[in-house]
Amino acid sequence: MSDDRTTPPGRGPEEERNGAAAVPEEPAGPSGPAAPAGERPSPGGRERLIRGLWPPRVNRNQLTVALLLFVLGLGLAIQVRSTSENSPLRGARQEDLVRILDELDSRTQRLEEERGKLENQKSELENSSDQAEEARRQTEERARQLGVLAGTVAAEGPGIRMTVNDAAGTVEAHMLLDAIQELRAAGAEAIEVNGVRVVTSTHFTDSGAGIRIDGRKVASPYRFEVIGMPQDLEPALNIPGGVVQSLEKEQATVSITRSEKIVVDALRSAKRPDYAQSSSQ
Amino acid sequence: MIAVLGLIVGVVAGLLVRPVVPTVVEPYLPIAVVAALDAVFGGLRAMLDGIFDDKVFVVSFLSNVVVAALIVFLGDKLGVGAQLSTGVVVVLGIRIFSNAAAIRRHVFRA
Repeated sequence: MSDDRTTPPGRGPEEERNGAAAVPEEPAGPSGPAAPAGERPSPGGRERLIRGLWPPRVNRNQLTVALLLFVLGLGLAIQVRSTSENSPLRGARQEDLVRILDELDSRTQRLEEERGKLENQKSELENSSDQAEEARRQTEERARQLGVLAGTVAAEGPGIRMTVNDAAGTVEAHMLLDAIQELRAAGAEAIEVNGVRVVTSTHFTDSGAGIRIDGRKVASPYRFEVIGMPQDLEPALNIPGGVVQSLEKEQATVSITRSEKIVVDALRSAKRPDYAQSSSQ
Repeated sequence: MIAVLGLIVGVVAGLLVRPVVPTVVEPYLPIAVVAALDAVFGGLRAMLDGIFDDKVFVVSFLSNVVVAALIVFLGDKLGVGAQLSTGVVVVLGIRIFSNAAAIRRHVFRA
């Protein structure tokens, strides 16, 4: 390279004239004294490059260029290293960083919103399933209660057992009906007479030697299984002029026992009403 | 030869020493490096053309670096830093390519 300082006449036309170095009559090119007058009158770029590279010479030119190239290499290495080993954010400019931060913020916000929405949805679903479960439970409970009243399910609980022994055959249907009424007034919740469940539609009719309950013939002794509060039921039957006294007046014997566990397991199928329809729909 | 050694030593030093670049300078380093590359290719071409001058090379090297960094800095201040730095890189890239073409013609004669 050092030779180049001494070749000011090379400043000719600015196009790459040496690209046509094979043309010897090209007027450009330094006319160095070392230029052989052989096949090539002026040294081409390649020769200059080789001469600059070898043998190594230490002079101001080389040192200056070496210093600058050292700086370039340093910067190159630093830059390559910082881009390769650090995150791409490191070399980013301020506005890019701000933009990235904004994007991240809005993204975070969007995701937060989505999360909140999903949380709400989840709790709603849980609530609704809880509510459905609760409603189903209540409905079942209600169905059981109504079943006890309608006689479609068996019932058990404290109550009394009353036996009416009608040896003379003088007990009539209305007396049993009176007993049922009295029991109901005293809070009886489930009643069974000789294996027949007594419900709202139950009717008593006289039929010769016995009594028909809902069309089924029953005969003495009439055994009442009553679920209710025993302390209420028994006095209600025993009041003066009440059921027991009027039955005994007809020569029937009545025995009442309280029990902590009365089982009313006679069932009756629910009858679908033909005319009455629920008005609460 | 010394110049090539300088380049190699610089790369090795940068890789080994891991100098910490100040954060202020950091965004301008890549542009400055590209500008310096342009200056180096220009210098190489001038050398092959036989018109190399060390003073010109030093001045062009430094001014290239400074101007490139200045343009990017100005772009950052104006809010068009990304576009301006792209423009600078494109321009320098074109120059590097044309210089490289000239060098190629010199070296390979093709």
